Amino acid sequence: MRGFDVVKPLSIVTMIVIMLPLVLLPLASIFIFGTSNGLGSFWNALMQPEAIFALKLSIVTSFWATIFNVIFGLFASYVLSRYNFWGRNALIVLISLPTAIPTAVAGFALLLLWGPYGTLGRLLEPQGVHIMFTAWAIILANIFVTFPLAFGVIKPVFDTMSRSLEEASATMGATRWQTFWHVTLPSLRGAIVSGALLTFARAVGEFGSTILVSGNLASRTQTAPLYIFAKFNEGQVEAANAIAIVLALFSFVIFSILFFARDWLEGD
Amino acid sequence: MADVNDDNSAAVSVLNVGKQFGAATVLRDVSFNVAQDEIVVLLGASGSGKTTILRIIAGLELPNDGRIILHGKDVTNLPARERGTGVIFQNYALFPKMNVEENIAYGLKLRRKKRKEIRETVDRLVELVHLGEHRKKSPSQLSGGQQQRVAIARALAYEPEVLLFDEPFGALDAQIRGILRREIRGLLKQIKVPSIFITHDQEEALELGDRIAVLNSGKLEQIGTPFEVYNRPETEYVATFLGAANLLGGVMSGGKFTANDVSLETDDMTQFRDGEKVKLVFRPEDVFLRRPENLTQRYQKLTEGRIEEVSFVGAFERVTVNVDLPDKPTIIVTRPKTETAVFPLHHGQEVTVGLVRFRIIPETANNGTA
Repeated sequence: MRGFDVVKPLSIVTMIVIMLPLVLLPLASIFIFGTSNGLGSFWNALMQPEAIFALKLSIVTSFWATIFNVIFGLFASYVLSRYNFWGRNALIVLISLPTAIPTAVAGFALLLLWGPYGTLGRLLEPQGVHIMFTAWAIILANIFVTFPLAFGVIKPVFDTMSRSLEEASATMGATRWQTFWHVTLPSLRGAIVSGALLTFARAVGEFGSTILVSGNLASRTQTAPLYIFAKFNEGQVEAANAIAIVLALFSFVIFSILFFARDWLEGD
Repeated sequence: MADVNDDNSAAVSVLNVGKQFGAATVLRDVSFNVAQDEIVVLLGASGSGKTTILRIIAGLELPNDGRIILHGKDVTNLPARERGTGVIFQNYALFPKMNVEENIAYGLKLRRKKRKEIRETVDRLVELVHLGEHRKKSPSQLSGGQQQRVAIARALAYEPEVLLFDEPFGALDAQIRGILRREIRGLLKQIKVPSIFITHDQEEALELGDRIAVLNSGKLEQIGTPFEVYNRPETEYVATFLGAANLLGGVMSGGKFTANDVSLETDDMTQFRDGEKVKLVFRPEDVFLRRPENLTQRYQKLTEGRIEEVSFVGAFERVTVNVDLPDKPTIIVTRPKTETAVFPLHHGQEVTVGLVRFRIIPETANNGTA
């Protein structure tokens, strides 16, 4: 049929109109507000020592949580896709569980375990070991809430990987470790990078559990999302907004990499 | 199989191997040898245990009983990586992140060979399998046949004790199969590495193997040259699995096969007692429906029969004949074009059924190997 198809532009416009108040305008607002007094004041707000500390703390704690969860995700994927044993499916559900738990509950649970009166914290406190209200607590919270993300990306690749690759390597004279290093790991490269990016992006933005376990002390245990919350409460909207812009841009970059580099990540 | 145990010249010896998976017995008492420049084909239906034998030789599976000897060394308890076998997997299992050269060099790198030696070996093998122009390509850029040649070169690089091919033509289409089969047989004859193929395709087995080992439900039914297993099957399973076969029941009497008034002279009667129930086996192409005076010396008349159906199936003609024996069995006869041209047949025609080659086997199908 020739002629102008009205449905096509109409449906596209409708879609964008629905997205505007829900997603696009809120995001646009932080950029509009942040730059309304000129880039200079934005830069000034960003360069506050407390703000820089909060960003650094978020990046460092997220980095270590990512390293841990990627290595654990690899290990757990290997065990759960290579060995069949009683309770295997239960373990898969357990690993995936942390995403289904509200982050505030996760923070509260960590407090009950590691806090000064917690089950383990009670034993560590007399030794002078403090976990809660330190950077360690933030890392633990980040590990908890992002626990299944890397595993969830890596395990399916493991499952679809042909066993005969590893068997071929073994018959050619490789030890298990050599096979893992030369054959298995290269095939997982894409999944490892995606899993790490996802984990890191999620950890940097974590708020609910962090606010409970960190103590939210400026320049000590205050991460970037906590800084936004604190400054907003103090009425310093501009300071909060500067960090909000950085976090929004950061997420945007990571998801662009995941989206556009998919071919590279998954290719040969 | 007395020859198996005391043969030190064999490159590969599989000795009395048995394997159970849980309650299921997959292999029972399987023994055979492979000589240094020999190609042995393990032929069997799926579930016959042929893949399990291959995996046991490679060390990817442990046998419950028996031993594996490679060039005089008992490797039964060695892990796969210490056996030095070359396995060509059904999907080739080329390492996807390595190019052709890197795949071939992998086994040498694991053995910490010198860089120069690795390069020379890779150069030589790339030429041997005609992949010179593809040496920098990744496996996904190669055709099935090319991938298979990389898999072979990769295994040859570290001078394997034996090459083990797991249904290597399964993933290729019919036309290419035939070409590759002859190509690989030529290559193996050139390099003289003992080789074991597994397949369920009888045509492939006949064409590839110096010897064929027929497996049925985890048991070795018969091992011999393609000519032997095809023309002198020892069991009903071998007779029917390798090509079409006619089977007729009878009794041994005075060194002859008898059924009703049929009596056939046989020269392999020694293993049967007088009065023992046996089966007569013969191939459709070994039956002649023409009059005796036109036939060769080896011809023996079986009985009379009536043509039931004549059908044209391309290269030859297939005739079903109802023969005058107890229960009026039907046999299948194939006739070449030269025969159908001078002696046409039609439905209902009375014919004399004669055989030029046949075999007497025990009535019980599972008597094992002789």
